[in-house]
Amino acid sequence: MIEVHTPDPIRYVNEDGQPVQALPGRFTPELLRELHREMLRAREFDRKLITLLRQGRTTFYAQSTGMEATQVGLARSIRPGHDWVWPYYRDHTLGLAMGVPMYELISQCLGTNSDPSRGRQMPHHFASAALKFVSISSSIASQVPPAAGSAMAQKYLGTDEITVCTFGDGATSEGDWHAGMNMAGVAQAPCLFVCENNQWAISTGVRQQTASETIHVKARAYGMPGYYVDGNDIVAVMEVMTHAAAHVRAGDGPALVECLTYRVGSHSNADADAEKHYRTRDEVSAWVGRDPIVRVERLLEHLGHPVSSEERADLIARTHREVDQDVLRAEATGQPDWKIMFEDVYADLPSHLRTQAAALRAEQDGGRA
Amino acid sequence: MTATQDRQSTDTPTPGTTGEPRTINLIQAVTEALAEELERDRRVVLFGEDVGARGGVFMATAGLQARFGKERVFDTPLSEASIVGAAVGMAARGLRPVAEIQFADYMGPGFDQIISQAAKLRYRSGGQFTCPLVIRTPSGGGVKGGHHHSQSPESYYTHTPGLKVVMPSTPYDAKGLLKAAIRGEDPVIYFEPKRLYRAAKGEVPAHDYTVRIGEAAIRREGSDLTLIGYGGVMPDVERAAEALGAEGVSAEVIDLRSLVPWDQEAVVGSVQKTGRAVLVSEAPRTGNFMGEVAYVIQERAFDSLRAPVGQVAGFDTPYPYVQDKVYLPGPNRILAACVRALNY
Ligand SMILES: Cc1ncc(C[n+]2csc(CCOP(=O)(O)OP(=O)(O)O)c2C)c(N)n1
Repeated sequence: MIEVHTPDPIRYVNEDGQPVQALPGRFTPELLRELHREMLRAREFDRKLITLLRQGRTTFYAQSTGMEATQVGLARSIRPGHDWVWPYYRDHTLGLAMGVPMYELISQCLGTNSDPSRGRQMPHHFASAALKFVSISSSIASQVPPAAGSAMAQKYLGTDEITVCTFGDGATSEGDWHAGMNMAGVAQAPCLFVCENNQWAISTGVRQQTASETIHVKARAYGMPGYYVDGNDIVAVMEVMTHAAAHVRAGDGPALVECLTYRVGSHSNADADAEKHYRTRDEVSAWVGRDPIVRVERLLEHLGHPVSSEERADLIARTHREVDQDVLRAEATGQPDWKIMFEDVYADLPSHLRTQAAALRAEQDGGRA
Repeated sequence: MTATQDRQSTDTPTPGTTGEPRTINLIQAVTEALAEELERDRRVVLFGEDVGARGGVFMATAGLQARFGKERVFDTPLSEASIVGAAVGMAARGLRPVAEIQFADYMGPGFDQIISQAAKLRYRSGGQFTCPLVIRTPSGGGVKGGHHHSQSPESYYTHTPGLKVVMPSTPYDAKGLLKAAIRGEDPVIYFEPKRLYRAAKGEVPAHDYTVRIGEAAIRREGSDLTLIGYGGVMPDVERAAEALGAEGVSAEVIDLRSLVPWDQEAVVGSVQKTGRAVLVSEAPRTGNFMGEVAYVIQERAFDSLRAPVGQVAGFDTPYPYVQDKVYLPGPNRILAACVRALNY
């Protein structure tokens, strides 16, 4: 039913919210409303975090606005807390949908004492051991070979977990991507590779990134199925992703899913002028018109279960309140002091770091006196 | 004529160019050097991630694609191995590639191409093939970038025979060194201290000039102690020297500018005069290039030393996000090392 190597992305619901093929039974109005809520929550989280950035309370942020269906759909297709995830830096919506507490995420963005990553990483480069959500590295595609290894370990240990590895379209140009895909293919490791193809890598469009018509066809070269899905259609994302995850879980080797979506916002706050330099307003507004959240709203309307404007406004207000409260709560824990610099470098503090820490302690104490 | 000007022996006016020197910042100096070299030599090509339409994430290449065309200034796929490897291939075929790696932290995927190909092509082929390329990359901390946008990896490259390694701290040097790198016959890793991109302002001549790779600049003459640094730490080094001056201590300040090759004569000569040296860099201490400088000082100026060579460096920890400012050696830490040397 779910095809491999299709020329067009698999889709269930079109941009007007009309089903283009029969909706699988599990997509009840209740489930669709739940998905809608999760996507909207993530969207508003993005919006609030951009405000924090403008207020100078955090220093960096990379939105996932427009990509909610891809990330929420993925979270819904795996077993959070059971399967392992090797994510990339734009995956906070995935994290939220998997159950990473907003408070943790915000703490990480603010680098406060409540940040599980202990103030060491850039904003939203978070980690959650509880959810087997591995710490994010900014170095593009560096998570791909470890994800292959994580899946190989699972095979070796005989567990029924799978490994999920996400990346952008740009990442598929890195040697690490090819190395990791190849390794997983050869090892027949239970790894689900997910390309969040939002069509831009900063200012480099996907056509300048690869001469291949799509990303998903590359899977064939590494001996695994490649699926192509409309990443703004959460029904399609969940259907294809669930199918691919089942393939992986069944021990039939790795799979690649390419979700065709769009990065509506800028790459990050360092790139607020995208439209001026490398892409057109028309292109952006065309994709704004394909908004995954609006699509579900239209679908629900079509199914006779519209989301009322009060419901919508209420959810937005609740999310904003939650963010505001979490920000205040996180800020109240203060910033980690210099000591945490020396911890976690190694399991034990070696003598040369002890010496350096002592020197810094003297300097800091001296400064205070 | 100051010592600094004296040592800029390669500042050669091009006949016919006139005009007043202008004050620009470090990133403008980089852009000007690139534009002028693209103009001067058709073999020069420029590429990397986002250098084209976007003009680079720091805008170092802004306007260059519009001016020189997509064949000479272009975006590449997101792959540092491809960028460096392709540069090696082009250089071997007679072009003068100038590749940008978006952040020094991301040279990792291109590392093998740098150390196995670029650095060794001339040597292993008995000089039959050469590799005149330049890799430009923003490095260093102070911009709240966490460890993926703040590291100072120069020591990996100074440890690799066959590479030249430079890091300017002024617009004058940024422009002159980049031109020298592009015109040179060897692979050059050109680190740009990103926190000085806009903070460092200074005069550059209106005429064409180069700064010879391998010559240090004496920024300030002194007799009691020699402060040696390079790149992003230089403004703090100079601040420390000023503070010492206010206390009646005369510090000489040397900006290495080039790490490979480096100006042993300038350093040894200075330490022989002052008897004390404090080395300043922001890279982690273990395996830091300044360890080599310290070694040469003790080897060649041991009899002149009146105190152990002081070193102020980054800590042996990954670069932290929150403690960005604590990590970097600021003027106070530099001063404390100077005081230790003076009171020894
Ligand atoms: C190895 C490496 N090179 C360069 C960068 C700088 N950089 C950060 S994000 C990015 C674009 C990534 O694009 P893509 O993989 O498509 O993900 P997207 O941001 O579009 O979601 C680049 C070039 C990096 N982080 N790592």
